[in-house]
Amino acid sequence: MTTVTPVQTPVRPGTPAHVPGVPGDTVLSVRGLRKDFTLHTIDGRTVDALHGVDLDVRPGEHVALAGTSGAGKSTLLRCVYRTYLTGSGHIWFRTAGGELLDVAALPDADAAELRGQEIGYVSQFLRPQPRRSVISIVASAGVARGMGRADAREAAAAALRQVAIAEHLWDTHATVLSGGQKQRVNIAAGTIAPPRLLLLDEPVSALDPANRAAVLDLIARLEETGTAVLSVFHDLDAIERLATRVVVLGGGQVLATGAPGEILHDPNLPLEVAR
Amino acid sequence: MSTHTPQSRPWALKVSGLGRIYGDPSPASLTGTGPEHGTAVSPSTGAVVAAWDVSFEVAPGEALGIIGESGSGKSTVMRCIAGDEAATTGGIALRSVADGTVNLCDLLPSARRRLRLKDIAAVYQDPAAGLNLDVTAGGNIADPLTAVGWRSYDGIRQRAAELLERVEVPLSRMDDLVRTFSGGMRQRVQIAKALANDPPVLLLDEPTTGLDASVAAGVLDLLRGLLEETGVAAVVVSHDFGVIDMLTRRVLVMKHGRVVESGLTDQLLEDPQHPYSQQLVAAARG
Repeated sequence: MTTVTPVQTPVRPGTPAHVPGVPGDTVLSVRGLRKDFTLHTIDGRTVDALHGVDLDVRPGEHVALAGTSGAGKSTLLRCVYRTYLTGSGHIWFRTAGGELLDVAALPDADAAELRGQEIGYVSQFLRPQPRRSVISIVASAGVARGMGRADAREAAAAALRQVAIAEHLWDTHATVLSGGQKQRVNIAAGTIAPPRLLLLDEPVSALDPANRAAVLDLIARLEETGTAVLSVFHDLDAIERLATRVVVLGGGQVLATGAPGEILHDPNLPLEVAR
Repeated sequence: MSTHTPQSRPWALKVSGLGRIYGDPSPASLTGTGPEHGTAVSPSTGAVVAAWDVSFEVAPGEALGIIGESGSGKSTVMRCIAGDEAATTGGIALRSVADGTVNLCDLLPSARRRLRLKDIAAVYQDPAAGLNLDVTAGGNIADPLTAVGWRSYDGIRQRAAELLERVEVPLSRMDDLVRTFSGGMRQRVQIAKALANDPPVLLLDEPTTGLDASVAAGVLDLLRGLLEETGVAAVVVSHDFGVIDMLTRRVLVMKHGRVVESGLTDQLLEDPQHPYSQQLVAAARG
């Protein structure tokens, strides 16, 4: 794993360092998050997704979201990344410089910067930009997080080796890779110069057992860098192995939260069974 | 992380309250126009409200997209910023001009034209709008160079060669008339000319529309590389979400002369809010 000095955020005037109800040691504190979708092209109907979610993630902590399909797990990750706009509530993110920013209310340009530098997102499917090489995808994630171009390229090579992407594929376009290869490139980009907060949405769903084990190892080692992780895995084994805490969502709300050992063996909770 | 307060965020181009009305510019022309009325034409005065109340900032190294269908006003906005036409109202400022304190709309046309040499450049859908087709590629690029005072023949040739190399036009074509070039090559020469004096702001109006898919892909790749490497602030006007997705990180959606939504480009694609944006995205996804 490559480490770099985190990009320091100058504390900007008017930005609170403390907000009532937000613990002082969290990287992410979600409060009262609500999200629904109004489908104007389909008779204007509204689809509810999240109804008041509260959640904290601390440095070095790995919080796994669990719950049945449609519980709102991916929606929550996308709201935190600002791919979805939040209906109401707050998404407090503490920057490396110590300021608390509400991602839900941040101007677009600030959200774009925050993303490149401090919040990473690894989705189930890499949607690679057309005609862009594998190594440049990974290296540019490093550049966005403050690495110099030459260092980023070196770190990208190391990251690609770590996820077992053969060297002869590095300068090919990512669009020609298999699903599992794309997913590993995505992981390499997400973990090069690890961000303060990493969002993982089923990052090993397309991997064979050997590659899956290697990527899970890589994610487990993020704890050492102090990266806060908020994840969705569809298999309970991965959650049991990686998570320091599990938050069970159901019907857009938090149903339970606790240690993986307690939560995953509770027969009364609606978990996706994938053992 | 280096987020900024709205006051402190660096910007290269700032547009505020920009409006362009063809016909009677009185407030009466606004009534009954805009997306909620389904038209940009004033029912009372017959004036066309091509663009109204358009505001945005673009930071150095950032690309902002403007998307909308034909007649939405997106190209009008671009032409007003470029100085190709006069805005009816509003402010346009460039950081490079008196540190952003001058409203370009207040400048005389001659002063406005001079800005096009060094401070702001445009690439049009039609290469004939940005190039003289009956002049060589090298001659077209020499134009903005000599206009800002380049005098050495060798120096100009060398700069033109550098730029042509940058946009991947073979140097062997430098002394050929642009008229003899293919569409994609003309577009590359137009881009080279726009970059001649390293302008801090670049306007791209449908830069790949009308090109064959494979040729368009090459021009898009070139633009993506240039935007990433040069630190130029860019405005990309397009009706094509593929172009906007590839080149920009923020976007405005326009319809009937008004901005109906703005957001991060991936948010616009994944969670569009306005009914019109949802229609656009649904259409793009097929």
